[in-house]
Amino acid sequence: MKEEMIQKALLVCGVTLTILFCLGPFFYMVLTAFGRHPDFLLPGKAYTPTLDNFRVVIFSESIPFMTYLKNSILISAISAVVSVGLVSPAAYAIARLPLPGKAAFLFGALGISMFPEISLISYLFKLMSAMNLVNTYMALILPYIAWTMPLSLWILVSYFSQVPRDLDRAAQIDGASRLQILFKIILPLAAPGVYATGLLAFIFAFNEFLFALMLTIDHSARTIPVGIALFEGFHGQIPWGQIMAGASVASLPVVALTLVFQRRIVQGLTRGAVKG
Amino acid sequence: MTQPQPNMDENRPHHINPFQESWTALLFMLPLLAFLLILIVIPVVGTVLDSLMRDVAFLPKKWIGLTNFQVLLKDAAFWQSTRFTLSFVVVSVPLEVFLGLLIALVLNESFSGRGILRAVVLIPWAIPAAVSGRVFELIYHYSYGAANYLLKITGLSHEPMNWLGTGMGAFIGVVLADAWKTTPFAALILLAGLSAINEDLYKQARVDRAHFFQRMWYITLPLLKPVIVVTLLFRTVMALRVFDVIYVLTGGGPGGATTPLSLFAFRYFSAADFGYGAAASVLLFVIALVFSVLYVKAGRFEEELE
Amino acid sequence: MKKTAFLFLLLLLSTACSQGPDRAVVFAVGGAPAELDFWENLADEFTRTSGIPVRILRQPSDTDQQRQSLVIALKARMKDPDVFLMDIAWIGLFSAADWLMPLEADMDTVPFFAQVIDTVDRFNGRLIALPVYMDAGVLYYRKDLVKAPPDTWQTLIASARKVQEAQRKTQPDFYGFVWTGAQYEGLITVFMEFAGTSGGFVEENEGIRLNCPANIRALRMMRELIQPLAVSPANTFTQMKEEEVRMAFQQGHILYERNWPYAWALHEADDSPVRGKTGVAQVPAPETGRSVSTLGGFHVGVSRYTNVKAEAMAFVQFITSYDNQKRMVMELGWNPGRQDLYDDPSILAKAPHFNALKSVFQHARPRPLKPYYSQISAVAQTHINRVLAGHAAPEEALAKADLEIQGILSRYQVDP
Repeated sequence: MKEEMIQKALLVCGVTLTILFCLGPFFYMVLTAFGRHPDFLLPGKAYTPTLDNFRVVIFSESIPFMTYLKNSILISAISAVVSVGLVSPAAYAIARLPLPGKAAFLFGALGISMFPEISLISYLFKLMSAMNLVNTYMALILPYIAWTMPLSLWILVSYFSQVPRDLDRAAQIDGASRLQILFKIILPLAAPGVYATGLLAFIFAFNEFLFALMLTIDHSARTIPVGIALFEGFHGQIPWGQIMAGASVASLPVVALTLVFQRRIVQGLTRGAVKG
Repeated sequence: MTQPQPNMDENRPHHINPFQESWTALLFMLPLLAFLLILIVIPVVGTVLDSLMRDVAFLPKKWIGLTNFQVLLKDAAFWQSTRFTLSFVVVSVPLEVFLGLLIALVLNESFSGRGILRAVVLIPWAIPAAVSGRVFELIYHYSYGAANYLLKITGLSHEPMNWLGTGMGAFIGVVLADAWKTTPFAALILLAGLSAINEDLYKQARVDRAHFFQRMWYITLPLLKPVIVVTLLFRTVMALRVFDVIYVLTGGGPGGATTPLSLFAFRYFSAADFGYGAAASVLLFVIALVFSVLYVKAGRFEEELE
Repeated sequence: MKKTAFLFLLLLLSTACSQGPDRAVVFAVGGAPAELDFWENLADEFTRTSGIPVRILRQPSDTDQQRQSLVIALKARMKDPDVFLMDIAWIGLFSAADWLMPLEADMDTVPFFAQVIDTVDRFNGRLIALPVYMDAGVLYYRKDLVKAPPDTWQTLIASARKVQEAQRKTQPDFYGFVWTGAQYEGLITVFMEFAGTSGGFVEENEGIRLNCPANIRALRMMRELIQPLAVSPANTFTQMKEEEVRMAFQQGHILYERNWPYAWALHEADDSPVRGKTGVAQVPAPETGRSVSTLGGFHVGVSRYTNVKAEAMAFVQFITSYDNQKRMVMELGWNPGRQDLYDDPSILAKAPHFNALKSVFQHARPRPLKPYYSQISAVAQTHINRVLAGHAAPEEALAKADLEIQGILSRYQVDP
């Protein structure tokens, strides 16, 4: 009995600490965003709620914030869709078709996904520069597609392998081509996995920083993480309220997606990442 | 996940040509191969080649072999950066895995609202690293940030701590900020490992009157060890390439005290010296490669256990 | 399903098509909102009078980030931006990298500071930039606490100690002298002024070194100001940058401030506690050699890869014209690159010390114009800051710095 009580107490403790740890900084960010004075923690200073910070960030002309957000959403969405679209056939091939060295290839792809971004950005920059793509959507979409492919591959191979082979065989007997099997049978049945993969790819592309920093120079293609990083006031006065408002707006899409699809995301991550 | 099944020839319908199947397979793989090759493999090779050249905007480009590396190995700032990167990894990775394990243990228990808690745990992971960097920049603000506020009201310190202005403060600040962001991921992986442990083992242990910590020590941790090893290695590779949070939070300061190798290389790219920066990034790549290989090997080992 | 796929592909293709290069003059400039507004207004007027469209490309206010943006655009040979402002410290890199289009031969350079034009704005004999605004270190002092500004560092220290001791009776947080000692470029500008004409970066036979008696004396003095004299606050070498220094002086508990001319307008603002009490003077002289301010400021250049060369040149002429530079003075309080403005009566009516600034700028000393200056500066900053922190003696710090500078020089030697 006593042990059960101790365990229960530990659990309550654990849950509380987890919530504090995970939500603390997030909560502080939102509080400051809605506050008139960022120094509200000082003794004698009151907390005054206001929407001004958000007004400045969303409507001000000198900060192209909403343009950054639009860029981020479009670039991430396109990258995610194309990545999943191009990885699906490959995942099907690995799950079902005869190919030499599949395991080696899978682990090789995994290894590739672990290359430090800095070790390829300089040449990637030269490539994009040679193709006149610097500061365009393509400069980011193409690398993001490539970069999300290994993890997508692992997750999709895992989901596709779970679809019973009999279905393939039956369809083949009916004269379906491999491509038709992929689209009509595998994808619908592995839909949760496909969505999970797309979500993870979107979140990755949305949050990416280094490529966006080096391959864009202005609002034509700049994404929101770079926008937040470089957001400052003038000489010495850092407008924390506005920065936190911007940070809140920047976090909104990904946090919303995560909360709504958390089950899918967790499944996808553990399927792909426990192995990988 | 199960190992991809070899294609069982005897089950294939007879009218399908195996040669044609292989051809289809290759076609299906092509886009993936093309993207990985052109946008990842070739840039890495290109960077390696670049590191062997004097590639500076204001000088003619020429082949200099290993000179960049020779100079790099005598560069005091390079060693400072390497020391920081390694210290960062050695401190933050075990911290994240440890905290992740605690959170995973909490999430492993069944209680109402567990789904919500899991969603909450994911929030730090979801936020862009650059954004979390700015939030922590505010948290560590000397005069009115939350960190010094907490230090004051918990009585841990009489004076506000100069987080970002001192070497040690900045180091701790950076480690904590990164741990906040990456612990959820470690927690998820460890949770998956935890939930794979057979419930019966615990039931048997309870029957044998083993209490909580004994169960942890004799059942949970040993069975979790492969997952912990894999998580440690994976996080190590990721921690080696840390950039976003540090760029935003300290900019590598104060005085280069928190400059990871990725930022060191980046500085040279910004100053239009691509060869030298490439050399630094190649060295980082080699270190990361060593750990990736270890990770992949450990991953395969874990598979054989199943 | 097919329809959405088709629409999606259209969307993809539309983003893939890169727009053609802008036929407007794209002008990259960073700074505070008030400054950016000034440039927007100027650009609008240029478009009105000449019919050439101008697009302002807003940059962050941090100079390192501005440089990074420009380096990326220029390295990628992008057609935009066409015109941009450069910190004087980057001109060496940009000109040596052949990123600057030589300005038209008929650009009249006579109205500008001749010494600046010849040393900074010419590369291989060709004019590649024009100064838009000038900066040079000056000494601010409380003229209600001392009758006349000190003309040597020794006099300054003695005066600062005396006044600080007296003022501490009523103001316990009073300090005699604040200056920018944090580890950043500002530290170098201040160091060069402490050392005077006999010190700073000693450039000889294509080489650069720091180890010399004047520099050792300067470093020793800088350290002493913090410890043991405590005439400068303890966080001088960790946090003091331009704004921290300015705000300290403005709050009224500092006697001497070394800063840039921009602080004058803020000190004289209506709500400033030191309004009417601030004097401006030349930086003091060291024991040997003369006093010399470090030259700063921003210059305008045209990108080598511009697609609208004639229009860009017209715009450069426009923003460096007498009237527009005068507008800059009146609206932003900046010091123009045109020397002929320093005798303008309406400006002198508003800011009488302006004329004195002319002589300061004429004799100001730029930092080395090497293309790899930023790396040399990083080395110097590290070692100088260590001396200020008390972690190294001046001689050994400068010797170590020289060794590292040698390494940098050997890597970047131009082929014979």
